[in-house]
Amino acid sequence: MSTIIFGLLLGLPVVGTILCAVFHHRKVLEAVTLTSTGLTFLSALWLVSTVMQVTVLSSEEGWWYADGLSAYIIVIVSGSALIVALYSTGYLRRQIRDGNVTTRQLWLYYLLLNVFLFTMMLVLLSNNLGFLWIGSEATTLATAFLVAFYERERSIEAAWKYVIICSVGIALALFGIILTYYSALDVVPSSGSALNWSSLMLVAKDLDPAVLKLAFVFVLVGFGTKAGLAPMHTWKPDAYGEAPAPISALMAAGLVNVALYSLMRFYILVNTAAGGSFASTLFIVFGLVSMGVALPFILIQKDFKRLLAYSSVEHVGIIVFALGIGTPLAYFGALLHLLNNAIAKTLLFLTAGNVRLAYKSKFMLKVTGAIKVMPVSATFLIVGVFAITGWPPFGVFISEFTIMSAAFSEGYAVPAVLFIGIVAAIFVGFIYYTARMVFGEPSRSVKAGEADASTLWLLGVLLAGLLLLGIYIPSPLQQCIQSAVHVLKG
Amino acid sequence: MNAMLTVILPPLLQLLLVLAFAPLITGIIRKTKARLQRRRGASVVQPYFDLAKLLKKEVVVSPVASWLFHATPYIVFSSTLVIALLVPTLVTPVPLHWIGDIITVIYLFALGRFFLALAGLDTGSAFGGLGSSREMSIASIIEPAMMLAIFTAAVTAGSTNLSIIVDRLSSTPASMLNPAHLLAFAGLFIVTLAETGRVPVDNPATHLELTMIHEAMILEYSGRYLAFIEWASQMKLLLFLALMSNMFFPLGMATTWSPGALVLGCVAFVLKVTGLAIVVAVVESTNAKLRLFRVPELLMVAFILSLLALILYFIIGA
Amino acid sequence: MDLTNIQTAELLIDIFAAAILVTAFLIVSSRSLVFYIRLFALQSFFLGVVALLVVLGYGETHILIAAVLTIAIKAIAIPVVLTRVIERIHVQKEIRFSISITASLLLCGGIVILADSVAQSILRSPHADATAVSRVLSVSIAMMLIGLFIMMTRRKALTQIVGLLTMENGVFLSGLSITYGMPLIVEIGIFFDILVAVLILGVFVFRINKTFESISIDSLRSLRH
Repeated sequence: MSTIIFGLLLGLPVVGTILCAVFHHRKVLEAVTLTSTGLTFLSALWLVSTVMQVTVLSSEEGWWYADGLSAYIIVIVSGSALIVALYSTGYLRRQIRDGNVTTRQLWLYYLLLNVFLFTMMLVLLSNNLGFLWIGSEATTLATAFLVAFYERERSIEAAWKYVIICSVGIALALFGIILTYYSALDVVPSSGSALNWSSLMLVAKDLDPAVLKLAFVFVLVGFGTKAGLAPMHTWKPDAYGEAPAPISALMAAGLVNVALYSLMRFYILVNTAAGGSFASTLFIVFGLVSMGVALPFILIQKDFKRLLAYSSVEHVGIIVFALGIGTPLAYFGALLHLLNNAIAKTLLFLTAGNVRLAYKSKFMLKVTGAIKVMPVSATFLIVGVFAITGWPPFGVFISEFTIMSAAFSEGYAVPAVLFIGIVAAIFVGFIYYTARMVFGEPSRSVKAGEADASTLWLLGVLLAGLLLLGIYIPSPLQQCIQSAVHVLKG
Repeated sequence: MNAMLTVILPPLLQLLLVLAFAPLITGIIRKTKARLQRRRGASVVQPYFDLAKLLKKEVVVSPVASWLFHATPYIVFSSTLVIALLVPTLVTPVPLHWIGDIITVIYLFALGRFFLALAGLDTGSAFGGLGSSREMSIASIIEPAMMLAIFTAAVTAGSTNLSIIVDRLSSTPASMLNPAHLLAFAGLFIVTLAETGRVPVDNPATHLELTMIHEAMILEYSGRYLAFIEWASQMKLLLFLALMSNMFFPLGMATTWSPGALVLGCVAFVLKVTGLAIVVAVVESTNAKLRLFRVPELLMVAFILSLLALILYFIIGA
Repeated sequence: MDLTNIQTAELLIDIFAAAILVTAFLIVSSRSLVFYIRLFALQSFFLGVVALLVVLGYGETHILIAAVLTIAIKAIAIPVVLTRVIERIHVQKEIRFSISITASLLLCGGIVILADSVAQSILRSPHADATAVSRVLSVSIAMMLIGLFIMMTRRKALTQIVGLLTMENGVFLSGLSITYGMPLIVEIGIFFDILVAVLILGVFVFRINKTFESISIDSLRSLRH
């Protein structure tokens, strides 16, 4: 059975890629992508339900591996991929009609979307840390042309920065992985499996702590770059700002979590092997720095998608901070926040896509009076902003509250106060800009009406999910997060 | 009588070898360069004729020149002769090994250059001053690179005494291929090009105002004086080549005064030095002279090569 | 010469490791883009030779394919691609430097010393003699840092690629030195990723050249904040 599930999760995006490579007709591309992402999501749900019963699922040769943590993140990633695929159909049809996108670009878009999903699955399902690295670098490469999609000066600039910075980071991470391998060579019986996470965890206590700590520093810098932790976040606003809105959404909701997942794996390993507060202190510091760095850029932002990118830096900071606190409650908060942030970011990026279609601009100064132009999208926008900035009754509030109380109960009073201060200041910045976009008089040139009514229901579903998570956490989700927390405890 | 022979003969032999062989090396370099440029070129013994002719010619001296101008050729020539007895050529230990080590060699070269620069200024001609200032500014950046290259070789051998360096290396031939050793050799090669005024740094064949360095400094000299200076700089080139070949690859050097070992040493020396001279000629023909402002970069490369050699010596070990 | 003899192999590995480091320094000391690429090709070739020597000297046959791939991809394929890029964009020289060549070279000398201290702290672990070639670890860390240094101080897009590749070579060498390389299938994946990355970056260099009419990343400054 494990073979079938792994085969489906990895194989479906590959089949999707091949079909997209062969067929160039728009309808076929849409159908193939919707089917591949949809079926991947269903397989992910199957994986979760299986993992809940057997705890660990692993292929016979030990190449592939899934536990509560990976299953949970696979569901989030494949879910956001499905939503993005659904949204993309309407978004791209409109763009083709407007003449912004050629059919060749459309083909490339769907092809790379499938490749992107495959590379993320590769990272999440690899047992071998070497494959995890290969997959991570491949996510950068798969998204390079998606970031440069519009082929304008600015998008090429963004894509260049993105590939260069992430490749440098990931090269450092590879050195960290080599050091990990080095620390394990003597301890793990057969050298072939010395890079497998499952066999490393078995002997974690015997690994050399000093080497592993150094390895963790390199891995933190490397995957931290991919996750967008400050000060390695500089590619993020460029890439998110220039990529098409649905791709930004998938990067913020999928790619970020994939990078965080890689970080978590090494975090567990170092905590088990070296113990102490080495890794958690680094996480707390990087988390707070990321939140702090994001703040001024949010306050002076002109471009809504870049605003969201800095918000992503902030939320990655929050999650890493929570992981650093290191109690089960904090882990629970971090994982819940992962989900909430993914939903809220998808919602906001997709809404930003709608605004962009209507106003032909993502600069906030040019966008005014959205509530009169596109009442439904504008409502989603303002409510989504309340949700992402941590207001009740939305899910983000619950997870941030959990993290904060975990911080206080562990005695991290100063970081926790800083945390509250930054979150409050970011809220002010967000509301200031969003209110200007939503209210006021629209300029004459903008035609009233929703840009793409067919995808509004998607935004509704996302918002409903956020509301639900703010009021009540369903018991399957609760169990799923608990089993992931169990993995995080090592 | 025998005792006298063993005391006097070896230094004499070494001195004669350097004096006699130096013009030939210059001849070989010129001939190789000519051939690489598809010219027939002058005969390899032409430098001997040049020296002989210069020695016969009368000396013309500017009326404003002081005693310094007259003394300099002798100082330069004699200091070079002393160096010729300090640098290992045929046998170890070198004849004057009790005087000093490699550092003495470097500073004796510096002494000669110091007087040449003063003499260049002495006549008050514009070219002499220009040449002196260029020569000294280049010398000041050569020196750190040269010191570092030589010290690296000294560190790998554990001594600054040239005879000991040669002995250590001869007893463990594998250490001649030590990366630190090879890098220091590369560094010293660049230093040699700069120190002896070869092409990427200076052009020994030019008398063009804008580019000449060494030639500008000695422009006022003529006749016998010029012969001494030319001969000294030819010996300097030979001695640098000898340093490079024997301090880094002392293969075939004689350790006793037996005729067989001496002949072998002589053959090995001639082969190595001629080989290096040909390499110098090839480098000179394949590179263009650098602008004066780029020279520090080249010497920086030499410095870094030597520094790397030193670091690698401690990292990888001997 | 008997290459399977450990002493010989060790000596040759030392020499080639030093040669690799020298190529990195020569890249720092030069201005011409073509020269950068040739030096990188030479560097990768030496790297392949080191890998081959590990195969011959220590009988680690699983690195053989990685060694051949290093030479085929990094010493031949990537330089060919990059040379094509240069031919098409007609840019030959790196002109502006944030730091002068002289100062860069000195700083890189300092980097090597720093790298060695890091390497020593890694090798101080209990299983320090895990491999016989761990001496080369300092060189590999120095390569990574010099690659990073090149990327930070040079402005041409192509130079950035060369810096990145130098870093990658350093990482490969580090793997070779402390663990006799990664498992084969992982190495193959890594090579594939690097090749694709260079192709993508090459395409971007064309596009930057087309839209900005220069391949200096100084012109890439419209995205701030």
